[in-house]
Amino acid sequence: MADLVIPQQILDDIIAHAKELAPYECCGLLAGTTGVVNRLYRIKNIVAMEGAHNLSAFDTAKAAHLERLSPEERAEIAFVMDMQDFSTAKKDMRTQGLDLQVVYHSHPHDPARPSVTDIKIATDYEEIWPKINLPLPAYLLVSLMSSEPDIKTYWIKSGRVTLADVLVR
Amino acid sequence: MIKVRIPTPLRPLTKNQGEVDIAAGSITDLVNTLEATYPGIKARLCDDSGELRRFVNIYVNEEDIRFLKGKDTALKTGDEVSIVPAIAGG
Repeated sequence: MADLVIPQQILDDIIAHAKELAPYECCGLLAGTTGVVNRLYRIKNIVAMEGAHNLSAFDTAKAAHLERLSPEERAEIAFVMDMQDFSTAKKDMRTQGLDLQVVYHSHPHDPARPSVTDIKIATDYEEIWPKINLPLPAYLLVSLMSSEPDIKTYWIKSGRVTLADVLVR
Repeated sequence: MIKVRIPTPLRPLTKNQGEVDIAAGSITDLVNTLEATYPGIKARLCDDSGELRRFVNIYVNEEDIRFLKGKDTALKTGDEVSIVPAIAGG
C-alpha cells in the first residue's frame, strides 16, 4: 500500500501555484485522512518580509547569504511560511476532521529534491509537530527547472531522506 | 509556573535551553519576563508595536494565541506555551 494517495487534480494545482509564483518559491500544505490527500492550502511565502529569514530556522550561513540578497532574490531561493496562514489552515483542518499529510514547496531553478536547508529545517521541526498536535508530514518538491515540471515526495526523518511511495489517481 | 518550549533557532538566546519555566499572567507578561532574562528574544517574537510577527506562532496548550486573545491571552500555572518558528526551506 502506498504511503500517500494524491489526486492528479491536486498535483495540477501545485504546479499551477508554482508557475504563478515563479521565479519565486511557492509553499503550501496538503491535508486528508489516513494518507489520502483531498485538500490543498496555499500559504504565503513571506521570506522577502523584513527579518523573516532570521527567525526561521535557517542556519547561520544561509541566513547570512539571504541577508546579502534583495527581497526578490531571497524569494527565488527560499521560502518562509506565513504562520498566520498556517494557523488558519490548521484550524480549518481540525474543523473538517482532516490531518496534515504533506508540506510542499517549489524549486524554480533547482531539482525536485530537498536542499541541505530543507533537510535541516525539517529535522529541527520533527520535535515540533507532536507538540502542536500534527503528524509528521511528507515533503513534496515541485521543480520548474525543466520544461516539464517534476514532482517528488520525500520523508525526512532524523536528517535522513527517503522517497515516499505516492499513488496518483 | 508556565512551561515555555523554545525552538532551536532561539536557543542561542536561552543558553541552549529547549524549555524554560516562567511565572507570567499573560502572553505580554511572559514575553517581557523572557526578555528580562534572555535579552534579544522579544525582538525575534514581536514587531515594534508589540504584535506577534507573521513568521512565528505562539501556542498555549496547542491553540494559536491569534485565535485566543492574542498577546492579552491569560496564562495560568500548568499551561504549556510553545514558540513555533515558521516552516521554511530553500
